[in-house]
Amino acid sequence: MKLEISVHEQACRGCQMCVDVCPTKVFEFDEEKRLCVVKHEDDCIACLSCAYICPSGAITHTGYHVVKNFYRDLAFCNKMEKFI
Amino acid sequence: MSSVPVNIEWLSDCSGCHIAIIDLHEKLLAVLNEISIQRCPVLTDVKDYPHATLGLISGAIRSEHDRHAAEEMRKSCDVVIAWGSCAVYGGIAGAGNVHTCADIFDSVYVNNKTTITTACPHSDKISNLEASVTPLDNAIDVDLYLPGCPPHSAFVFDALLAILEGRSPRTATGESVCARCKRRMEKTEVDRIKKNSEGVPDREQCLLSQGYLCMGSVTLDRCMAPCPQNGVTCTGCAGATMQVLAEPNRDIRTEIAERMSRLTKIPREAIVREIEKTSKTHYSYTMSSPMIGEKPTFLIQKWTDEERNDYEQDHNY
Repeated sequence: MKLEISVHEQACRGCQMCVDVCPTKVFEFDEEKRLCVVKHEDDCIACLSCAYICPSGAITHTGYHVVKNFYRDLAFCNKMEKFI
Repeated sequence: MSSVPVNIEWLSDCSGCHIAIIDLHEKLLAVLNEISIQRCPVLTDVKDYPHATLGLISGAIRSEHDRHAAEEMRKSCDVVIAWGSCAVYGGIAGAGNVHTCADIFDSVYVNNKTTITTACPHSDKISNLEASVTPLDNAIDVDLYLPGCPPHSAFVFDALLAILEGRSPRTATGESVCARCKRRMEKTEVDRIKKNSEGVPDREQCLLSQGYLCMGSVTLDRCMAPCPQNGVTCTGCAGATMQVLAEPNRDIRTEIAERMSRLTKIPREAIVREIEKTSKTHYSYTMSSPMIGEKPTFLIQKWTDEERNDYEQDHNY
């Protein structure tokens, strides 16, 4: 499955933090629209740094190899699905 | 379709969540056609707990009465929703965990500066406080959580309608308050943190960019961002984002500092320190939840002690 990055355009505040943190320069900034744009998706190494730093939670990745996080709050993870 | 019986209970909270139902406005009529409200302390005079399909419980477990009421609700309702931040995280009542019960009784009844009472009420007249404030799921099993202070009526409507129609309600996504706020987040030369009362914030620019401590980026969107859009910093009333809750090493103060230090010229450490100094404000909604309160990075007792020592030193106590 191919890795895909999607940016929720209405949620993007144009802070450019994803452009700054990405180690492989996947994002570029669209000055006119004041949005981040995924320019080099193939270079993405799925480190998810951009998704974590994004203040809006606007960036989502699909189709990447999920590595089990070794440090999770299990009590919360058990009820995460119940948050509406 | 016959109407669905609903019980609503009110533990330690402010009643704001009940008002959120009325904020459904005309949509309320659609909901009222489908449900019949049985127990609801602000509306009906039902003293017992009749059997209901749906139970909405707002408020934290603060007193022995709260625990008893929560248990009765669990017995009488098929589906129980922890409704509002107090029920989900402990909410503002949870900020009482920084003090002992004796301290609270002392400042409320014995040495209250604004009233003339000098004795605590007798425990046969009022319910005893529990040793600490806990969220609802500490007392009973909860089926669904709907955080928010109060949750915006759009989310209440969505959730109620889905349950009434037998669908599963939409679960919370990773989006924060920033996702709804229309302010422009941009890099600035601001080099110090401003107090909320200081100056008038720019209408278009992000509050973090202007040096105000806004919690939007670490707060779950259950409100449609009315505060930051009207120039008031977000206080994090709907609780932390899924990211902060799921990972013990991510904390509210470090996440804000990480972003704010990239937007402004304020050093990351200075932001972390400022939030620690005002931790009772910045963690007020979530500190009694084990999800935040038991994080290894959350040291509120140490921070409040340091703050008190600094204050006493500055004011020559």
